[in-house]
Amino acid sequence: MEPDKTLLELAGVDTGYNNSSTGIKVLHSDIRCKVKKGEFIALLGPNGVGKSSLIKTITGMLPSLTGNVLIKGKDIRHMSNREIASEVAVVLTDKISDTYLTAKDVVLTGRYPYGSFLGKVTKVDIDKVIEGFEVVGAKSIMNRYFYSLSDGEKQKVLLARALVQDTPLIILDEPTAFIDSPGKIQIMSLLDQLVNNHNKSVIITTHDTDMALKNVSTLWLLGFNKEFYSGSVSSMVEQGIINRVFDRDGVSFNKNSLRFENI
Amino acid sequence: MLAYRNISFVIFAVVIFILFLLNIRFGSVDLSWTEVINSLFFSNSESGHGEVIILQYRLPQAITSISVGIGLSLAGMLLQTTFGNPLAGPSVLGISAGSSLGVALLVLMGGITGVSMGSNSIFFGDFGIVVAAFIGALAVLLIIIFVSGRIGNAVTVLIIGIMIGYLVSAVVGTLQFFSSSEDLHSFILWGLGSFSNTNISQSLTILILTLLISLTTLFFIKPLNALLLGYRYAVSSGFNVKILQTVFILFSGLLIALGTAFTGPIAFIGLAVPHIARSYFRTSNHSVLIPAVILFGAGFSLLCNLISKLPGYDASLPINAVTSIIGAPIVIWVIIKGRRLDIG
Repeated sequence: MEPDKTLLELAGVDTGYNNSSTGIKVLHSDIRCKVKKGEFIALLGPNGVGKSSLIKTITGMLPSLTGNVLIKGKDIRHMSNREIASEVAVVLTDKISDTYLTAKDVVLTGRYPYGSFLGKVTKVDIDKVIEGFEVVGAKSIMNRYFYSLSDGEKQKVLLARALVQDTPLIILDEPTAFIDSPGKIQIMSLLDQLVNNHNKSVIITTHDTDMALKNVSTLWLLGFNKEFYSGSVSSMVEQGIINRVFDRDGVSFNKNSLRFENI
Repeated sequence: MLAYRNISFVIFAVVIFILFLLNIRFGSVDLSWTEVINSLFFSNSESGHGEVIILQYRLPQAITSISVGIGLSLAGMLLQTTFGNPLAGPSVLGISAGSSLGVALLVLMGGITGVSMGSNSIFFGDFGIVVAAFIGALAVLLIIIFVSGRIGNAVTVLIIGIMIGYLVSAVVGTLQFFSSSEDLHSFILWGLGSFSNTNISQSLTILILTLLISLTTLFFIKPLNALLLGYRYAVSSGFNVKILQTVFILFSGLLIALGTAFTGPIAFIGLAVPHIARSYFRTSNHSVLIPAVILFGAGFSLLCNLISKLPGYDASLPINAVTSIIGAPIVIWVIIKGRRLDIG
């Protein structure tokens, strides 16, 4: 075996749902790919194709129908939530509705996989949290109530939460949705910084295709015929796989402008 | 900030002690402070008239009031956090009604089970009622867990909880219709709710068990905080959320059943107190919230019990009327003054 820098490996994974009343519904089959250290990946695909399901499968929240999800060579099915939490951090689209949690409280939950089960918060935890806020440039809002923050600020706080979790891999589900254009660019350059300066691997799902193409190194594409493609941005563009997955009714991806356009 | 919290905690502890003494002092028979202090702190014998009243009636009532206040408030907090629903509470989700059904099945079928509800009933009787109340509460909780596992929407779960409450109440009503008048009488008295039906050993049992469960919740500050971010974030913080939710639901079921069995269903404390605690300390962080809920629960319950005795002499108000009259405006005030309650 080569000196393995593989963090995450999907070995013939089928994603989907096994429901006792409706039976087995396969969304994508035989997914094979690897995530290396310091890789920046965008998972793209049309609405409703199953991006979130793949994310859930990778994070162990949805069991794969067949095949194995391996984190550092270990099958995710044999890992406890706590073990997974020290390898993978997530930023989800779930709404946090509590109105009396501060941004700091939220980020502190990222330290919970470490330390004791008891409520005690250590000096290390606090230092990490402050450092996390500094990295995302949100130190000034640390003591504000989370619910009162703008969508962009919330996203930074959640990113800080993922950061203090000290995991090699961070997965973000639609981190740029509902955020204004400068905010999107801020988030993307923050992620870029995490990959380049902090040696993290980052996977994002997004509908901001052109922005993703400019920033990431690798693309994962999901199509409606259960197909999965992965490769470098340029190879996916050249081979026309983006067209194969996305093109519809008079709108097509232009390989030269790297944008969707009317034909 | 920290100092302010600690000072608040001390002040509230003192307030609770004063409320406790006032509860002992006032009632249908007028007693002096000397009698109160003497019988509480200096005398073991029950010679005097006042001592008998204090040690056999008012002390157990005050202790039960504290215990049930703590138990219901903590149960309300646990349910609100576990279901991510600010409107969850013992009565709202039909859990108290479930307890009532358990007790109704036991008591109204008294002819068959041979259990009586008098305060002098044998240990098996007490024990039977606690078990029945617990099983009833748990049955409803299990239905709610099942439903909320399938339907993520908090409002829907709430509506279903309320419907289950109606359904269970209807079954209780039907049972009442077919039961003997003696059994019915004692069940209706129980159903009105009162802190005064316990003797000293019962009240101390409730107190000790309530405090044991309360102290245990202090070991779960981190997972409870993580749950405030929602189910999936709690999982991503490394917790086995399914098991923890079950544990919290069991705890709340136990706390609700423990109180309800002896005092009947008590309205509003479980829903109102966590909101008062959150809005007073302006935090949902359970490291502050748990002690705050324990203190506020004890204080709120003692205050209600005191007010229920205010007409004095012959009559006392039903405790449920008092908890609702105080509780409802407080919850409304909290909602209006505080923040929007997001229950989408």
